[in-house]
This record gives sequence, structure tokens and C-alpha cells, in this order.
Amino acid sequence: MSEIPKHDIVMVGAGPAALTAAIYTTREDIDTLLFERGVIGGLAAVTDVIDNYPGFSTGISGLELADSLRKQAERFGAVIELGEVTALNDEGKYKRLQTTSGEILARAVLVATGSDYNRTGIPGEQEYYAKGVHFCATCDGAFYRDKRLVVIGGGNSAVQETIFLTRYASHIDILARSTIKASSVLVKELQPFIDQGKVSVNLGIKPLEIAGDANGVNKVLATNKEGKKVTFNTDGVFVFIGLKPNSDFLRGSGVKLSDLGFVLTDDNLETNVPGVFAAGDIRSGATMQIASASGEGATAALKIREYLEGRLHSTKVHQLEVIP
Amino acid sequence: MVKDITIFTTGTCAYCGNVKTYLKAKGVGYKEVNLDLEPERRAEAHQISGALTVPVTVVTKTDDSREVIVGYNLAKLAPAIN
Repeated sequence: MSEIPKHDIVMVGAGPAALTAAIYTTREDIDTLLFERGVIGGLAAVTDVIDNYPGFSTGISGLELADSLRKQAERFGAVIELGEVTALNDEGKYKRLQTTSGEILARAVLVATGSDYNRTGIPGEQEYYAKGVHFCATCDGAFYRDKRLVVIGGGNSAVQETIFLTRYASHIDILARSTIKASSVLVKELQPFIDQGKVSVNLGIKPLEIAGDANGVNKVLATNKEGKKVTFNTDGVFVFIGLKPNSDFLRGSGVKLSDLGFVLTDDNLETNVPGVFAAGDIRSGATMQIASASGEGATAALKIREYLEGRLHSTKVHQLEVIP
Repeated sequence: MVKDITIFTTGTCAYCGNVKTYLKAKGVGYKEVNLDLEPERRAEAHQISGALTVPVTVVTKTDDSREVIVGYNLAKLAPAIN
């Protein structure tokens, strides 16, 4: 039987947090393997324009930023494997990971799996998935040239993706349950499209069903703030209603999760399992910002290095002794 | 055996990049149809896949049978190119 591959660090995910961490660890010649089951760059990569990542005065496309982070990490020797980690077990010195490419062992693990867009769970959402119901505007918007669209959600993603979709759609109805909660900068960018009549913002709307026929989606049934039934005719629906953590693979690992499924960490970004760290959107308390994820990735990398050198926990003990 | 592969993409689709990266890593060649540059082929992509999304990867085998993979789906893409 062949020996199980061993690595100093395995990073689960290859979004901004993991890619930044990998830049730091590989630059110091620490053997680092990343696993990505989805898209390299994570949700950042499917975002049209990123205007608030430092260093890009005119903004940068998510795809470009992700590609640049990947190239930078690979320049120093990071290896990104396209596959999925399905389970993690702590065996002391090594953590054993089950992956779609077989078992691997790691001295330290960085969990940076990020989040995915939530689903509404209403009838029609699953039935018309990719056939009129979508979660990625940059992937699927091009199919709606001169068509009517509905965007469900009122946060930053909903508004940002609506702005992107205006390049294709003839009209977009935004359906927000309460109010528009996006940043004022994004709302300001949206305003000209509202003024032109290309976008309508509908507040207090609770979607009940996405309906259609053999040709695809043709309407969204909902209730308004008075509780009356309303219908929005549309050719397609894009859903952006918040994020859910990608932490299912940690169930049974012993790593503590919050009630919402985010990973709990201490000040060193280490979980309750020694040698298992977390950074970025998956971490409980994360700000869901790309710049924050990168910063956490850098911090995690430095703390993991301390852990591998046997200094992280000795520092903790020392602190406990001197603090009264 | 694979005869040829065509990927329908758009310029802003990150998952399309993943499919291309994967095929390149496996040393497999492909033709790309960028629907931003060839919008008239959107209907073709829709008709082949039954879906309004990209990437759509069409793997044609030497016996002219065809496998269509919608989205970035390694569980289907990996066996299709072997």
C-alpha cells in the first residue's frame, strides 16, 4: 500500500483568505497544499467589480483579483488541487483529511471554505435552478439580454449584482423583504438605473413561489407589506439573500461551530482543536469583506508557523502565568 | 476516447475559468465559445444543455457520442474526459 501523503499545511478552500495565507507560508518554504471544490477565489471571483479592496484605485474585477492572488501564491510554490475535503479527524501530531483524491495528512489545517449564497427554499427555486433561477450573475446574466429579471434580496450582493445585470436586462425588479441594506456607495451607483426606469425597488415583499411553464420561469408570486398577493412577471430570477457557511465537512471533527455553523476561533484564529485554524468568511465573527479575509489569512499563516515551530501554545501558557 | 471538447463560456464567469484550468492541468485540449463575443450562439448553448448557464462543456467521444456537463462539476467532468 502506498504511503499517505503528508503536508505541513493543508488549506481547505482557495478564496482570498487561503490564497493570502498560502502566499505567506510558501514564501517561507512551508509545504502548503490547498483544496478547492468550487471556484478559485471563492465568492470574490464571481463578483463583478470589487471597489473596496485596497491598492486598486479604480476597482478590480473579482475574476482578475482572484487570478492575481492565485498566481502570486503559485509563484512561491503553493499547490492548488481541484477537489473536496469531506472530513477531518484530529490524530494529534497529524490531522487526517478525507478528500476526493484520497486520504492526506497535515501537521496543521487552515479552514477557509467561506460561504455560499443562501437559498429561499420557496417552491420553484429548485425546479428551475439554472433554467430561470440563478445564484451567479456574472455566470448567467448573459442569457438575459433584453429580458425582464427579478432579483431577490436587498443587501450588498443583491444591489451589486443588479447593477451588473443592467448591462443585459431590459428591466429588473428588486424584491426586498424589508429595506435596502446595501452600502450607501452601492445605492448611489444603483440610483441612475432607478431614475431611468430600468430598475424598480420593491420593499416589504415576501416571495412565495417562482412559477413558470415548460419554457421556463415567467413570474414570481409574493405578498406585499399589506399582506396582499402580488405578481412580478419575469424571464428569470437571481437570488442573493445572505450567506451560509461551508462547514458541513467539519461535523464530527470535534471543531466547535457556532449555532449558525460558523467556525469558532480564539485570538490566534485557532479552533478548539490544536493545529486547526480558520480564516475568512467561514470564521464566526468575520466581517464578510475580502480585505478582512486577506488580513485574516495573513494572521493565520503567521500563527500556523508559530504552531509548527512549537511556539504558539508555549506563548499562551506564558501569557496565562503573567496575567494576574 | 475523447475526440474533441467545446466549452461555452462568458468573459465574466469564474467557473468557466475553473473548467479550463482543470482541462489544461489534465493536458486536454478544447475549443472555447465565448458567448460575450458570439452572442448568437446563446441559443445553441441553451439547446445543448437545457440550461441558461455557463460553463457548458460538450465532450464528444470518438464514437461521436456526446456528454454534456453543465456548470463546474468535477464529479462529471473527470470521468467524461477519461
